[in-house]
Amino acid sequence: MPDVALNIKVKDGAIVEEGLSYVISSWDETALEAALQITEDVGGEVTLLTIGPDKAAESLRKGLAMGAHKAIHVKYDEAKESDSFAFAKILQKALEGRNYDLILTGKQAQDTDAGLTAPMLAEFISLPQVTNIIRFSDVSEESITLYRKGDHGTEVIDMNLPGIVTVNDSLNEPRLASMRGIMMAKKKPLEEIELDSLDIPAEMRGKQGSMTNVLQFEKPETRKEGQTFEGDEADTVKQAMDLLVSESKFLA
Amino acid sequence: MTKILIVAEIKNGEIKKNTLELFSFAKSQGLESEAVLLGSDVSGQADVLAGQGASTVYIGDDASLEIYNTEQYTSLVIDALQQSQATQVWLTSSEMGRDLTPRVAARQGVGALSDVTQLEINVDEITAFRPCMATKAVQKCEFSKDGLRVISIRSGIFSAEETAPAPANTVTLSIPEGHSQLKVREVQVEESDEVELNEASIIVSAGRGVGGVEGCEFVRPLANELGAAFGASRAVCDAGWLPHKHQVGQTGTMVNPDFYFALGISGAIQHLAGMSGSKVIVAVNKDPDAPIFKVADYGIVGDLFKAVPVLREEVGKLKG
Ligand SMILES: Cc1cc2nc3c(=O)[nH]c(=O)nc-3n(C[C@H](O)[C@H](O)[C@H](O)COP(=O)(O)OP(=O)(O)OC[C@H]3O[C@@H](n4cnc5c(N)ncnc54)[C@H](O)[C@@H]3O)c2cc1C
Ligand SMILES: Nc1ncnc2c1ncn2[C@@H]1O[C@H](COP(=O)(O)O)[C@@H](O)[C@H]1O
Repeated sequence: MPDVALNIKVKDGAIVEEGLSYVISSWDETALEAALQITEDVGGEVTLLTIGPDKAAESLRKGLAMGAHKAIHVKYDEAKESDSFAFAKILQKALEGRNYDLILTGKQAQDTDAGLTAPMLAEFISLPQVTNIIRFSDVSEESITLYRKGDHGTEVIDMNLPGIVTVNDSLNEPRLASMRGIMMAKKKPLEEIELDSLDIPAEMRGKQGSMTNVLQFEKPETRKEGQTFEGDEADTVKQAMDLLVSESKFLA
Repeated sequence: MTKILIVAEIKNGEIKKNTLELFSFAKSQGLESEAVLLGSDVSGQADVLAGQGASTVYIGDDASLEIYNTEQYTSLVIDALQQSQATQVWLTSSEMGRDLTPRVAARQGVGALSDVTQLEINVDEITAFRPCMATKAVQKCEFSKDGLRVISIRSGIFSAEETAPAPANTVTLSIPEGHSQLKVREVQVEESDEVELNEASIIVSAGRGVGGVEGCEFVRPLANELGAAFGASRAVCDAGWLPHKHQVGQTGTMVNPDFYFALGISGAIQHLAGMSGSKVIVAVNKDPDAPIFKVADYGIVGDLFKAVPVLREEVGKLKG
């Protein structure tokens, strides 16, 4: 997905493509880091799975360089016209016949900020879900203990495996790929899959397979430039407070 | 006919303001609303929802529902939905709402729009606006197929109207077996008499600039004196200076209070994404180039350890 830390321009109802640089969504890196830690701890294998256009392969290589064991690239050009529902359905197809104990995703993707794909997938493949985890412990073959950031505190949940979790960025600090990792990534298996071989008909793709539709992108409301106060705090704070009261009706 | 089923939220036995906001908005649009009320010992709140306009309140009241859990809550909302024949389900984009919204939608075989900040409704034709890309763009969305509309709405977007309780027309839901694949053991609640971030009209937030736990405690009295919620940047929560529930921003709570005080916060995009909807922003930072000053209405370039005592003194005078 596009790097949202960089400047994002909106023109004529669309995001301007020029100047975008593509990266792994930050929360997905956190998910990968967690998966790597689990396999380093209890053994096993981490597989990356993405549905996206050709350029998504770069992100898979990067994930392999971080330490993932293999990658699956479902080639998909209609990514831009698809919503989370459509992605969850295709992920369901892509997972058919495969073995896994735990599926990890970001709590949301940094471009959509939707946070819908993983729970929808969990429902479609009848797995339990725990979203927004900030910690985990007690990983075994059968279960994992998850600490979820809930509305009123941290919810502590034992989840049977297989299951799906989505991660909060506070879970960890994703590692950087080492030079050696980058070299090794070139030799790791990256499986490419065409939609046709997954038996995904046209009705499941792009706009047709989606339940919601982005009509257009708009610029967010920008805040007007405010005032700054420099000098001795005893004066500047008073000046600011006076205006806060007179202009903005603070504590009125 | 359009009918909205609103999933109510409860804290300390009372209906949360974010829920009241949804009822007030439904009423302002002339829409019929019903409620689903889930929790432990919550039935008494049905009258509050009826007072807000809920024509029926579907109640799931059981000790097993004390802490939110995906399994039972999803089943109960679906049960209420089937009885209600509502054409739309509204939730708030709280942590519960974020977890439940996609699961409920998927079980009904439909899509969802999450964390909506503006909503235009014409029968069941909906135009929704939602920030994306760390709030650097806004999507204007619609549902592209017929069927149930499932939407989660950000807190603080609509105003909540105070209403008197009224006798409720209630339906008791039968409690499904839960905890088959998931077992919620406990909720570790941190200090809870505090003002909640998404309910507050004033928020005072501490950033890494406070330097540590002591710095947080140096700032906290200002929040208390203002009756404000105490917020923080991720840097502060990750360092363990304050619990995670204080975090404001994209992965913390998205807030839009009347007044937001950012003390020693640089203004990273993920923080801004969560608070730039505040009506008035005051920032104190010793770096004149800190990005927070690009969004602040009143930017004080200076040391927060010198500024906070003056702020408290001024607030003291104002409160008289
Ligand atoms: C996926 C993702 C999600 C994220 N989500 C969030 C989120 O939800 N919320 C969030 O906050 N961050 C989030 N972040 C982190 C974010 O990018 C920043 O790292 C974080 O906001 C920085 O916190 P800070 O401003 O407190 O610290 P810093 O950036 O270190 O800023 C500290 C500031 O304090 C000032 N300062 C220092 N001493 C003083 C003093 N004595 N007086 C006055 N000013 C002083 C400094 O000039 C500096 O500007 C996220 C990051 C990622 C990658
Ligand atoms: N096309 C995709 N391929 C693989 N994973 C995806 C895809 N779309 C979404 N996801 C996962 O679902 C998460 C949430 O996405 P979203 O529902 O768009 O916020 C992302 O962080 C990813 O981990």
